[in-house]
Amino acid sequence: MIYEEDLMFDYVEYTTVDGPNKKHDVEVYALSTCGFCKRALAFLRDQGIAHRYIHVDLIPIDVKNKIKESLHEQFKEHVSFPFAVIDGKTTLIGFLEPDWRKTLLD
Amino acid sequence: MKPKTIEETKTFTQMVARKQGWVLTADSALYEDLVQGLNTNWNRYGYYLCPCRDTEGSKEADQDVVCPCDYAKADIAEYGHCYCSLYWSESFAKSGKAPQGIPERRPYK
Repeated sequence: MIYEEDLMFDYVEYTTVDGPNKKHDVEVYALSTCGFCKRALAFLRDQGIAHRYIHVDLIPIDVKNKIKESLHEQFKEHVSFPFAVIDGKTTLIGFLEPDWRKTLLD
Repeated sequence: MKPKTIEETKTFTQMVARKQGWVLTADSALYEDLVQGLNTNWNRYGYYLCPCRDTEGSKEADQDVVCPCDYAKADIAEYGHCYCSLYWSESFAKSGKAPQGIPERRPYK
């Protein structure tokens, strides 16, 4: 169950993927054209990690820029993709499988 | 603008690799995904925006990340492959290593 207050941005629609592993709240910003974004989302799915994602190249550019600015402000990180927000507190940027594995499965 | 086919986009990537002395990713599934992404970007924006970068809204603003991007040469020298991993150095291809996400070299705007 995702509560409205858990969402970073309530003005965009995320795709929710359920899974048995709900240890962390995982929100992913991705590009529909990007190979590593695709692999990151496949990793989450294959590992049964519940998550939600949005392809930011498929939403209006002003909305995307607003999201990027907010993410940058909140996490003090350059926004590149995939950009995952874990438990609303930490980030995984780019798909380095060992890092994702360590953060999400250990 | 006339849409490009997947085959035309594949030919483009082959020409770039040959001209630059790089090789194409040996990961065939990744290659298909990246060609699909590049093709989508051409047909969406009118230029081959890197499939792993998002548009700034115009060709002028995206100029440095039009494939092959301005950062590919340095990334291939340092990591063996470009940011999206479409292009590899010959030595990386021979190493048998798998590509992975690398840091974004593009200055933040």
